[in-house]
Amino acid sequence: MKRYLETGNFAVAQAAIMAGCRAFAGYPITPATEIAESMSRLLPRVGGYYVQAEDETAAMHMAIGAALGGMKAMTATSGPGFILYADPYGWAIGCEIPLVVLNSQRVGPVSGITGAPGQGEFYLSRYVTQGGNFETIVLAPNTAQEAFQLTIEAFYLSERFRTPVTILADQLITDGWEDISIPETEQEKQAMGLRFAERRVNPGPIFYPPTDEIDIPPVVMGKNTGALCSDWTPTEEGYDIETVEAQHKHAYRLIYKIRNHRDIFSRYETLFLDDNPDIIVVAYGTPSRVVKTAVKQARQLGKKIGMIRPITLWPFPDELFQKKAIYLTVELNYDGQMVREVRRTVPCESAVHFLGKCGELPTVAELQETFDRLLEGKPLERRGWETEAW
Amino acid sequence: MDYLSTKYLRSRKIPSTACSGCGLGQCHKALVKAIDEVGFGINDIIWGTSIGCAGRQTYATWKGDSFAGTHGRVYAIARGLRLALPPEKKLVLSVGDGDAFGIGFNHLLHAVRTNTQMTVMVCDNLGYQSTGGQYGWTTPEGVVTDSSPYGMFEPNWVQSGRDVLAILREAGATFLARHVSMDGAVLVGTLKKALQNNGFSLVHVVYPCTTNFANTALGTRKPVTIFKWIKDRSAPLGKEKEDTLWRTGVYHDASNSRPEFSQLMREKVAEIHGRHEREGTD
Amino acid sequence: MKERIEILASGFGGQGVVRLGQIIGEAGVKQGLHVSMLKSHGTEMRGGYVRSQVVLSREIIDSPICESPDYFIALSLAAYQKFKDTVPEHGIIIYDPAFVEQVDKSLRCSHKAIPAKELSTENFDSPLFANSLVLGFVARLMDMLDRDLVLQSILEVMPKFHEQNREAFEMGYKYV
Repeated sequence: MKRYLETGNFAVAQAAIMAGCRAFAGYPITPATEIAESMSRLLPRVGGYYVQAEDETAAMHMAIGAALGGMKAMTATSGPGFILYADPYGWAIGCEIPLVVLNSQRVGPVSGITGAPGQGEFYLSRYVTQGGNFETIVLAPNTAQEAFQLTIEAFYLSERFRTPVTILADQLITDGWEDISIPETEQEKQAMGLRFAERRVNPGPIFYPPTDEIDIPPVVMGKNTGALCSDWTPTEEGYDIETVEAQHKHAYRLIYKIRNHRDIFSRYETLFLDDNPDIIVVAYGTPSRVVKTAVKQARQLGKKIGMIRPITLWPFPDELFQKKAIYLTVELNYDGQMVREVRRTVPCESAVHFLGKCGELPTVAELQETFDRLLEGKPLERRGWETEAW
Repeated sequence: MDYLSTKYLRSRKIPSTACSGCGLGQCHKALVKAIDEVGFGINDIIWGTSIGCAGRQTYATWKGDSFAGTHGRVYAIARGLRLALPPEKKLVLSVGDGDAFGIGFNHLLHAVRTNTQMTVMVCDNLGYQSTGGQYGWTTPEGVVTDSSPYGMFEPNWVQSGRDVLAILREAGATFLARHVSMDGAVLVGTLKKALQNNGFSLVHVVYPCTTNFANTALGTRKPVTIFKWIKDRSAPLGKEKEDTLWRTGVYHDASNSRPEFSQLMREKVAEIHGRHEREGTD
Repeated sequence: MKERIEILASGFGGQGVVRLGQIIGEAGVKQGLHVSMLKSHGTEMRGGYVRSQVVLSREIIDSPICESPDYFIALSLAAYQKFKDTVPEHGIIIYDPAFVEQVDKSLRCSHKAIPAKELSTENFDSPLFANSLVLGFVARLMDMLDRDLVLQSILEVMPKFHEQNREAFEMGYKYV
């Protein structure tokens, strides 16, 4: 095991190389630029390609092109670039191309504040392209170390599910410095729970079977298979067709190959849920770390508070929200995004509250205050849109 | 099915899905013939297409590997794919005028800048015809379309001193040509040259749309009228007349004069990789 | 050692505040500790303050924020004013009198002064080595940090002037 004091950006680049990524297409954007920089340095050393694109649309398309040719590929960006991924992301979903995408969320809308953390793309990472009829896999780390592990997992899942997988990070994860352990031996990799999958080649002529099966190899160009893929609704062989029957089969495959195999990738962290806590706090990404400190501290103070941290954000882990309690969702946005999913999934008699911050983390002190108010049955204090009862 | 179709094209896509009287078949056939005459087999070519008439009607016609990108993005996909493909396999793209010179122009320029191997045949039906016939970036001045009901008065890319091929030339393209689809053997000859450039080649081919363009601009769907209209406005380079819209022939041939992008990448990466393996440094 | 140690360093842009935090963090990693470091930059750079928040712990670090720093290294008056009240009773504020001329006597935490800028200028004809002086001083105050590993981290992080940095570190370590 090698230990470093390094950024999440460094961890992600190391992970990508370890997972077998040999093509990265980038476009400079704070706070994900350093991933591109690291890849430009690391990839040639292992015989891989770094290319810089004219815009983020091209960056993701170039990564897709390399993946379409059989390479493991990746691209990374932040919100303003992620929105430009919408077009290629849809293509990669529809053509079922394995690919890894990282979005380090900053403060929006649009350019907003470049060097500060936000969580404004919770829904955008799910509804990442137009047209519907698809499901997405989105993983949300809360430390640089976890970003390392989830990057490797993202490559693994992208191959097995033949689809792009998004790592939804935030500025503090990619820019923040932490101790990072990088495994070197096979045993160390296994002990860390890392999983790897090789690229395989679909031999055809059926490239798009009408099933929810995973582990079907993706379409690859240049392997003499007569491979076909396009942006139109495909027949099972990949010809373009405009019938609702074909569309139904296509949509079924895209949605249920993911929904029916959630057990393979569903990850979460829970804390103090066993004694029917009065409050359950829900958070993902960096804010969840402050929440965890606050919840542990609250327990020491005798407050019955628990915590749920979804790591697999999409498909959303509905089954985690079975307990009746007061729910408090903490996010780095003022509009309230994940809280809507929490509202949807909790038992209907449960109250759901929202604490929003943006550009900075909530503090432990602030969270304790919020817990106290909720325990006393008081409504959350309205300061602007920072707190809102649902 | 003729000899070329049997050898290179998928029977499922014959006859073509294009409208009757469409000139796209002439472009498509010329390209397949050029591929045959150069001596490529079905596994030597990866065929990419785009959105619109040219893209949709040529997608999955090629017996080998074929893909269609979203509108304007096929050049960016091709640049990534080119890195992963063995150098002996060639990329051929058949795309439309809107795709190449409108929505995808930025990506096209960067493919040109890097001299990435791809033979791009821009099949130009003078506007957006698959959506019913709106003006595009090559629609001749004054022409009536569904979105230029008072005649096309916006500057286009091909008249009044502008030429899109001049931009591509300045950007570093290594093979550029223009034709009309009726050019037959001459067009085939040009496409053969384009295919043999290990770099970025673009052949701009104007072809007649009977269903939408001709109907609105010329008031008739009779193929003979639009075929003659285009033919009359074209002339070989050096033989142009005052009213010539499309000067045909090879505009620029610097084939194999610049490093091809994926080759450059392979060489650079091999060099850095080797040094790193040997010395542990960059 | 305590479960978790919070170290806040703050000063002007260009003073090497981030690097200071990085060196402490690097020493922590070398000691087998978990480390997190947040750096604030960007909009805060102009006229305001740069901040690095370092947390050292034997356990995995949850919150990366220094809400009540055990050690606060104040390298500008603005930084001192901004964060002094967050330091708890047991905490120590380490400051350079060149920047913080008067300290707030009402605070219950302790203050330790090191005239790092002055000492660096006197001994090396340049203020460049002030941070190594501060780090030497900090290394002695923070018993959980291994002195030699802090020095080793300085030499790894700083690309140049190893002799002077080593000397400055020793000088800071011995400063009373």
